[in-house]
Amino acid sequence: MTTKVSGLDFSKLTLLDALDLAVLIEEEAMDRYRELAEQLEVHNTHAAAKFFRFMERNEAKHREALLTQRTARFADAPRHVRREMIFDIEAPEYDEARTFMSLRAALEVSMRSETKAREFFESALAQISDSEVRTLFAELRDEEIEHQGLVQKELDKVGSGAPGDPEDYADEPVSH
Amino acid sequence: MTTVQLTSKDFKSNLKPIWCPGCGDFGVVQGIYRALASIGRPPHEIAFVSGIGCSSRIPGYTTAYGFNTVHGRALPIAQGIKLANPELLVLVAGGDGDGFSIGGGHVPHAIRRNPDLTYLVMDNQIYGLTKGQLSPTSACGLKTVTSPHGAIEHPVNPLLYVLSYGAGFVAQATPADMAGMTAIIEEAIRYPGFSFVNVQSPCVTYGEDHQQVKAHRTAMKTLASMGHDPSDRMRAFELASHYGEQLYTGVFYRNPNPPPTYGALVKERQAALAGGLPRERILESFIQR
Repeated sequence: MTTKVSGLDFSKLTLLDALDLAVLIEEEAMDRYRELAEQLEVHNTHAAAKFFRFMERNEAKHREALLTQRTARFADAPRHVRREMIFDIEAPEYDEARTFMSLRAALEVSMRSETKAREFFESALAQISDSEVRTLFAELRDEEIEHQGLVQKELDKVGSGAPGDPEDYADEPVSH
Repeated sequence: MTTVQLTSKDFKSNLKPIWCPGCGDFGVVQGIYRALASIGRPPHEIAFVSGIGCSSRIPGYTTAYGFNTVHGRALPIAQGIKLANPELLVLVAGGDGDGFSIGGGHVPHAIRRNPDLTYLVMDNQIYGLTKGQLSPTSACGLKTVTSPHGAIEHPVNPLLYVLSYGAGFVAQATPADMAGMTAIIEEAIRYPGFSFVNVQSPCVTYGEDHQQVKAHRTAMKTLASMGHDPSDRMRAFELASHYGEQLYTGVFYRNPNPPPTYGALVKERQAALAGGLPRERILESFIQR
């Protein structure tokens, strides 16, 4: 966790900071999926690029939902958590894209990202004392578990030879 | 000089990188955005100079002033820019071929002058842009299109090279550790004088498996975790000699007493010769002699 977040003490994390952190995690993932899609579009790797575009839209939806939650609760309260404080929490790694990578390979990238995001929230939960923050992070962890299940379902489809349609695993926003 | 609150997005240009998907340079450029955001100088106060090669495209992907120069000549041009406008923050980027083969002769002279600029070398041990020829840092025995039976030369060690010529700041990083790499780049920029960062940025197309980011994640070892004292120059030499065998990351050497920069010495000399004349009137004073 130390290499993924700098300048935040999880034991003292407030709900405001936790929500801002969650928004930034989704934003980072959204940007990264877009960057990976752009890399692949330039190199005519369309199926994987299309999937990464789908993931970009998904992360954008999650980000938006968390932002709505944050605004409803804290309005325009100043943000203390900055994007520069986080590193690849849910975002796929920069070296994950490959020219002509298959849809299956793209799904595997997504699976690794959902897995590391779940691990991040699990690890953070062990340090958090605030009950509201705990509830939020537990929800976010559960969302990641759900996403892992959805990606696995698609991996199974691709593995059996059935064409995978990314829209099949569109999910609901991460927060309520 | 202005210092403002900036984010990495402020440094990202609209130009989309055309590197091979998975290239290490994607991570490096993000690390540069982040480091520049932390430094807080706005893009119009930054000049980014490069030579030729995959990594030399970096300036175009930033919102800073960029100058994609000729092969191996980034350092002399960057020094000229710094001399002409000392207030600019000047960064130089290039590959190992650009820096240690074609431009190799410029490196010692930049170091001995000690201009306040940061030289980032994306060392991928291959000429990637021209489709995989031996580069100055290619390992002995490496088979490439120009060494089908394996390289018979030994590689240049960029770390020993710059340490030997007296660079005041020498570090190595990898995009496998984004946080570490960003911190190193930031520290290099903040160093008052010539700073050098050798970034092990893998070539995803022509590089070997053990050179890839995934391999770096397990192979890398931070100098801080080894208790290395960056002011210990002799120990830095010893650690740097393991280039190619061990992937050490962090600051090998940071001069604890940085000498005056070339810019400061030039300013001092100008003041002495021109008797306090403003810079634009110095030439006039020489003509009058």
